[in-house]
Amino acid sequence: MFYTIIEQVVNGIVSGSVYAIVAVGMTMIFGVLRAINFAHGEYYMLGTFGAWFAIEYFDLPYPVAIVIGVVATAVIAVVVGNFVMQRIVGAPAEAGVLATLGVALILQNTVILVFGGSYKFFSGGYIEPVTLFGFTLAEQRILIIIVGLIVFVGLELMVTYSRMGKAMRAVSQNIECCAVVGIDVRNIALWTFILGAGLAALSGVLTAPVNVSVYGGMGELITFKTLPIIIMGGLGNVRGTFVAAMILGIAESLVATYVGLQFRDTVGFATLMLVLMWRPHGLFSAQARF
Amino acid sequence: MTEIVRDQTMAPAELPVAETGRDFRVPFGLVLVALACVAPLFLGNYPLHAIIIALIFLLPAHGLNLLLGYTGLLSLAQAAFFGIGAYTSALLAVHFGTPFYLNFLAAGVVTGAVALPLGIPALRLRATSFVMCTLGFVIIGQAIAKNWISLTRGDMGLAAIPKPYFALGPASFTVSGTVGFYYLVLAIAALATLAVYLIVRSPAGRNMIAIRENETLAESVGIPTWYYKLVVFMISAAFAGFGGSLYAHYLTVVSPLTFQMYYSTTMLIIVLGGGAGTISGVIFGSLLFVGLTEALRVAPELRMIAYGFFLLGLVFWFPSGFAPLIGRFWSFLEKRK
Repeated sequence: MFYTIIEQVVNGIVSGSVYAIVAVGMTMIFGVLRAINFAHGEYYMLGTFGAWFAIEYFDLPYPVAIVIGVVATAVIAVVVGNFVMQRIVGAPAEAGVLATLGVALILQNTVILVFGGSYKFFSGGYIEPVTLFGFTLAEQRILIIIVGLIVFVGLELMVTYSRMGKAMRAVSQNIECCAVVGIDVRNIALWTFILGAGLAALSGVLTAPVNVSVYGGMGELITFKTLPIIIMGGLGNVRGTFVAAMILGIAESLVATYVGLQFRDTVGFATLMLVLMWRPHGLFSAQARF
Repeated sequence: MTEIVRDQTMAPAELPVAETGRDFRVPFGLVLVALACVAPLFLGNYPLHAIIIALIFLLPAHGLNLLLGYTGLLSLAQAAFFGIGAYTSALLAVHFGTPFYLNFLAAGVVTGAVALPLGIPALRLRATSFVMCTLGFVIIGQAIAKNWISLTRGDMGLAAIPKPYFALGPASFTVSGTVGFYYLVLAIAALATLAVYLIVRSPAGRNMIAIRENETLAESVGIPTWYYKLVVFMISAAFAGFGGSLYAHYLTVVSPLTFQMYYSTTMLIIVLGGGAGTISGVIFGSLLFVGLTEALRVAPELRMIAYGFFLLGLVFWFPSGFAPLIGRFWSFLEKRK
């Protein structure tokens, strides 16, 4: 009994890390662009497809496939960023919603058109089980947790100390003032977007060996899972997003075990509504900003 | 001061027509109504089906327009209320065999009532959180439809919903064919449009616009903004419920897929693409975005890609939808006179 709980919590931390890596990019994009990126899960899907393509057609080893998946997604993100995301800086909320929904439709259906809508088998990754403190865990899951931690620490350092990170924080506080002091807002928006899309792709490639199947519609589910996380974490708040992602990951895995698997995908929004009733501005923000 | 910027995206209530010139809108509108009445004479069954679907989606879109276009609240919950309306009608019809008008009214009443407890917590949220909360209604609605198997039969859905059937005393008749259903939907859509027109033109409509333009200011001049938002949220839900009821009776099946995010987006696109805050724009939008996509029978993926590009074009080139274009067309006609 106790063993099962611990095991499920560990599984929850793994999926929490996956969500965290996706959500943190989405929340940073929101901070800078003030737009909810409904296409964010599609970059997760693109990363997975890039890696799957590299393994399936060129027989490349998994680590190389990770790089290819992330770089290919970043290239697409440069295009989308230049033509779409930069133009919604300062636009009203409806414009952001419609534009990113449009991007999501285009990306998802292009992939389905090119590769077909069926489920594909992802054969890379480290799926050997290892035993750690009496628990058996696939190597890939340990890798996911480690990468999650590295991304978290790396982003915290970047946002606090680097020039780019400081500029990102400044833009998320006041766009007009940034323009006055000479920060290139459009450029910051572009780089934040590329970083976020790249992280989503990384998360997708890392999860693919655990999920095994790859299909064109997979991004939508991830978008719907990350949306509650970024609201709960307080929009634009990196640390809060990590905590919210862990809470959701663990809650999902416990609900799947003790309540029923079919309720797993509803946990996010159900939790979100309860949290919003209790604290209308998210778990970690002192006051409502958005 | 920054509030003024909003005007670029929200068209004003209805574009004013110069008082002096001849108003072309009334005769043109009459011609359109006449055309709609005789449409089955020269349209085949398939285009007629496309128009029926467009008119069904017009109802939730009218509701969303009241909410978004006139009161300024961006909501994704319409699909949830659409689904609740569809299930309410379907369950009544299948289990109790009640006549159509009862199912139809019940769908609107039930969704309006459900919107009250959902709206009270949701409307206290700020913009982005409100959007997410309303999206949550759709996701959770779908989960309930999938998992409350004893009531909804889960993923199998409810089938064999009877076609609209009226019983008045001894006389009863059933609307079965496409043409019959077309006239039924047309009549209901016309009534709904009239209702929206009356709401918008009433003092209450003015207050809603005031809330959209500046909520704090509206509150300060004594408009009970909170009750207005709640009531408009319930009305918009009821409109979605009516639409759902028609949908269930037209397709004769409902499944958990009635609660899908895609429907909410479609309704949002109708309103924003047609022109939020205008009635003619929303009618135009539903015919264009639903009717046309239904009528174009190409590969679904290609259709979706085209739809995506269309959305981008809309956002960047026509940020206030097509309504200003229609307005410009009228003033063009007037200048020519």
